[in-house]
Amino acid sequence: MKKEYIYLKHISKKFNESYVLRDVNATLYEGEILGFLGPSGAGKTTTIKILTGQLEQTSGEANVLGIPCHNIDESIYEQIGIVTDQSGVYERMSIYDNLKYFAKILGVKYSYIDELLKKVGLYEHKKKLAGKLSKGQKQRLILARAILHNPKVLFLDEPTSGLDPTTALEIHKLLLELKENGMSIFLTTHNMEEATKLCDHVALLNEGVIVEYGTPKDICLRYNKERKYKILLENKEEILLIHNDKNIMMLNQWLLNNQVVSIHSCEPTLETVFLEVTGRELQ
Amino acid sequence: MRIHLRKLMAIIEVKGKAIFSKNFIIMPIFALGFTYLIKKVYGSINDIDMSGYTLSLGVLMNVCMTGIYLVAATLAEEKEKNTLRTLMTSSVNGLEFFLGSLIPILLLMMIVNVLCVLISGFQMTNFENWCIFLLVTTCASIISAIIGMIFGIFAKNQMSAGTMTTPALLIFMMIPMFKALNEILSKISNFMFTGIIMNVIDNISKHSTAIDIQNIIILIVEIVLSIILFLILYKKNGYEID
Repeated sequence: MKKEYIYLKHISKKFNESYVLRDVNATLYEGEILGFLGPSGAGKTTTIKILTGQLEQTSGEANVLGIPCHNIDESIYEQIGIVTDQSGVYERMSIYDNLKYFAKILGVKYSYIDELLKKVGLYEHKKKLAGKLSKGQKQRLILARAILHNPKVLFLDEPTSGLDPTTALEIHKLLLELKENGMSIFLTTHNMEEATKLCDHVALLNEGVIVEYGTPKDICLRYNKERKYKILLENKEEILLIHNDKNIMMLNQWLLNNQVVSIHSCEPTLETVFLEVTGRELQ
Repeated sequence: MRIHLRKLMAIIEVKGKAIFSKNFIIMPIFALGFTYLIKKVYGSINDIDMSGYTLSLGVLMNVCMTGIYLVAATLAEEKEKNTLRTLMTSSVNGLEFFLGSLIPILLLMMIVNVLCVLISGFQMTNFENWCIFLLVTTCASIISAIIGMIFGIFAKNQMSAGTMTTPALLIFMMIPMFKALNEILSKISNFMFTGIIMNVIDNISKHSTAIDIQNIIILIVEIVLSIILFLILYKKNGYEID
């Protein structure tokens, strides 16, 4: 049975009189990626702050690697890595020196730095000042710093936000590699494609409340009530069929007549599920 | 809170390099340049030995500007560039960051204070006077650095650090500088760490008892008070106020 690395039980967080999180429940298991998916202001960053000991919940139980989050001290940071929009780099230092500094703090051998730089695609630029890096390179450096000590759990708050598609894809590839190597990842994003591609489980978060929770596939299938198919016929006509006896007969006929070029099932995406549940868009 | 020497040394190394950036090193250089300038100006006016006063001004400038401003500005820069949070979520504790930030600046201040003696041409007549000078200026440097740390907690960026520390710099520098002009300023100055620096240098130059028990008590009390105030604010806010 997989170990529970993170769990949130009935977590609520109130700022002044308004709730930013309400009765949030979720679990991250060893070697999995758990995604918190929601628009800005949904409570994703607050959840990460609670889990990393930077904020205390108003009620409920949050636990990381067996330690209650309100009891977290600095030693936990030797086992977890964090990437948020508030992660920074020392701009007057080179890429290599930035990592060397944190390697010294975290007790990591310097010889590992080059290997890590190759992994994140920054080896060629290792002598470049961090202040001169592009946004994508800077994000990769921040990610490299977060995984420098090979943490058990990695927290990522919108890691690809504002990055070009190529860099985002490279980061996705790296995250899947890290997962393959046994790292557990807690990811927040408002990008449903990213969540679908990377996450083993996702929680759809809206105004501090989890409105759906499960694997991306299960969630999408749960909302696949009409079971639609998109058919492309030989005459270039594109037809959307709803699953019923009459349409199945028609489809059979087209297939027998060799008129069908392609058939695609049209399950809802996480984005459409979110829209259906909340009436809001993710972006 | 435990101190890990490995982490402390790493912070000292990086902070030590950071203070030599052009934004920050200007402060101690300014103190040295000011000492040299005052020496030249007073030296050419008359034959009275003004080296004590010259040294006092140089040391005051260093203790206030390097101590208060530099500490506040370097902490504010860490916040501005988001490196403070990165550091604090990389297993560094508050005490390690505090010591790692203060030690290189204190060392720099001590070196500059000694250089001010050499530049001003002040004659330390014996080893005892050197020891007293170093002790008093080091205590004053510790106080000013902790005050700088307190300002740093409130400063969100380097610009606000500059704005916030300026009134304090003026108070800590001007009151002892102008104490000769006003009885009240003189009395206030005697209770300030910057005033004690001037008194001690003045006493050494007059070959009288360099430091008395009252000055020692004031320095100790001010160190303790500044630490208590820092701890209260740190407990409440950490190094940054959200």
